[in-house]
Amino acid sequence: MFWQIIAENKRKSVILIALMGISLAVLGYSAGIFAVGYLNPAADGFISHRSGLSGIIIAVIIWLILLITALFASDSIFLSASNAKQLTHNMNPQLFNVVEEMVIAAAMPKMPEIYIIEDMAPNAFALGKGPDDGKICVTAGLLAVCGRDELQGVVAHELSHIINRDVLYMTIAATMLGAVSLISDTFLRSFRYLPSRRYSCGKSSRGKGQALIMLAAFTVMILGPLLSRILYFSISRKREYLADATSARLTRYPEGLASALEKIMLSGYKNSEAPKAAAPFYIANPYRMDIKNSVFATHPPITDRIQILRSMTFGASYTDYLKAYWKITGTHRNLIPVKSINIGEKIAIRKSSEMPPDSPDQYVSRKKAGDIIRHINGFKFIECPCKMNIKVPPETSAESLICPRCSRVHKL
Amino acid sequence: MTGLSMFLLVFVAIAVTLFLYIAGVYNRLVFLKNQVKNAWSQIEVQLKRRHDLIPNLIETAKGYMQHERQTLESVTAARAGAISVKSIADVSSAEGELSKALTKFMAVAEQYPDLKANQNFLALQEELSSTENRISFARQAYNDSCLMLNNKIEMFPSNIVASRFGFKKQAFFELENPMEKDLPKVSF
Repeated sequence: MFWQIIAENKRKSVILIALMGISLAVLGYSAGIFAVGYLNPAADGFISHRSGLSGIIIAVIIWLILLITALFASDSIFLSASNAKQLTHNMNPQLFNVVEEMVIAAAMPKMPEIYIIEDMAPNAFALGKGPDDGKICVTAGLLAVCGRDELQGVVAHELSHIINRDVLYMTIAATMLGAVSLISDTFLRSFRYLPSRRYSCGKSSRGKGQALIMLAAFTVMILGPLLSRILYFSISRKREYLADATSARLTRYPEGLASALEKIMLSGYKNSEAPKAAAPFYIANPYRMDIKNSVFATHPPITDRIQILRSMTFGASYTDYLKAYWKITGTHRNLIPVKSINIGEKIAIRKSSEMPPDSPDQYVSRKKAGDIIRHINGFKFIECPCKMNIKVPPETSAESLICPRCSRVHKL
Repeated sequence: MTGLSMFLLVFVAIAVTLFLYIAGVYNRLVFLKNQVKNAWSQIEVQLKRRHDLIPNLIETAKGYMQHERQTLESVTAARAGAISVKSIADVSSAEGELSKALTKFMAVAEQYPDLKANQNFLALQEELSSTENRISFARQAYNDSCLMLNNKIEMFPSNIVASRFGFKKQAFFELENPMEKDLPKVSF
């Protein structure tokens, strides 16, 4: 079942990450040559492998520092930055139940921690290094607009990021990208402020060969970050498709995720507070909806994702997703590791488990999201017989309160 | 090296490889068997959860549904029947009965707006529908792991190891799920 995907996935990601590592090394090498060559114009002989190798070592050290910080502190920094609140069963039984159902379906060893973010924009993301250490975060806006089946689709998508260890791989890749950008930025910027050679003699000790090396190093400085970024985003997009496929298989109800994605697309909100580096971790890019195919997109076009899920009319297995993917994108790329496709596996799509979902009225859903946030923050809700719903903040010290509409007295 | 020692070396190499292979297959079979066992205990946990929810549900509904005594009693009877069974084959049919009775109960409850507005009932309904989902997902996980174990037991060459150590095929768990039976009708 799932461990086959994990194994296959590991291999593919390792290759892509190795490519990023190589570009980091090449960049470090040229940075070393660049630095020594530029700062010591007289030292012709110093443009050697030694300066390049020390460049690589510095690049790797920068990457390791970023990686270690990211692995050990990013979760808590991220959660506190987005003001996430950990959820217990009583706060929102439906969300808690949905997560538990999906944990059973995926046969996960441990229940992930669940967090709610006070944000009106519907979105969700996963954190954590693997199945033993997973965290799922959803925004209050998502809870407000999604029905049970839609929520299930989103939660299954996030859980499959955890099962596939996507967060771990994306963190490794992201920190590599970070190191690459840092080094090239530093060099391209410092190049501007370095003393100009305008006043020195044109016929310096610089040989023609050296100039060529400098030119090559300069090219690497500019192309390196670009290439790393393209690699990084291609890993990210592939993992989104795989998580969609896994979500359909786990829930046996592709329409749930499709309709949730549609609501996210149409919501018109943007997660203004979401850290930009975290965009690949969300279910849909929080800054801009990826509508067109682009090498710089963190997510596949959201309309494609919806269409693929909606054309899975014959079943919810990986094969069905792959066929739908081929049909919609017109390619024959092998998206899902061959080994994990059980040929002939039949997973019937189940029926919707609920009444038609709530109306996607902006006003109603915003009100609902507000109530969810208040509930988490310990507000008391009093329903007056006059149909007035009174929301009492937890800081209130008064013992009773008067209904503003019908003047009834309520005891707190 | 003489011919004899060469022969001995090859013989030992083959014996070691064979032993390692058999040990590998055996361990895999044990792993799969334990997985089936785990998946089954997960089903049992969820079935028990359902049995525990029903008395509360009936208690809450009683006040509102005085004219539906028969529906309520059939749920209680089906629950009692489901609790008393032991073997896997009987569990399937007894739980199927319970599912049917519950579906009917929920359909009847739809006609009582007061009951549907009751916070306690709504909470119980959410727990019950979640439990139904859990049962069906746990069942899927159980059947998946059964299939893997059974394949290993039937297929050559692992079947030799399996029969030698007495591994037995496990029965699938089929539950009559009213939700799955009632597929959407397509009309042209």
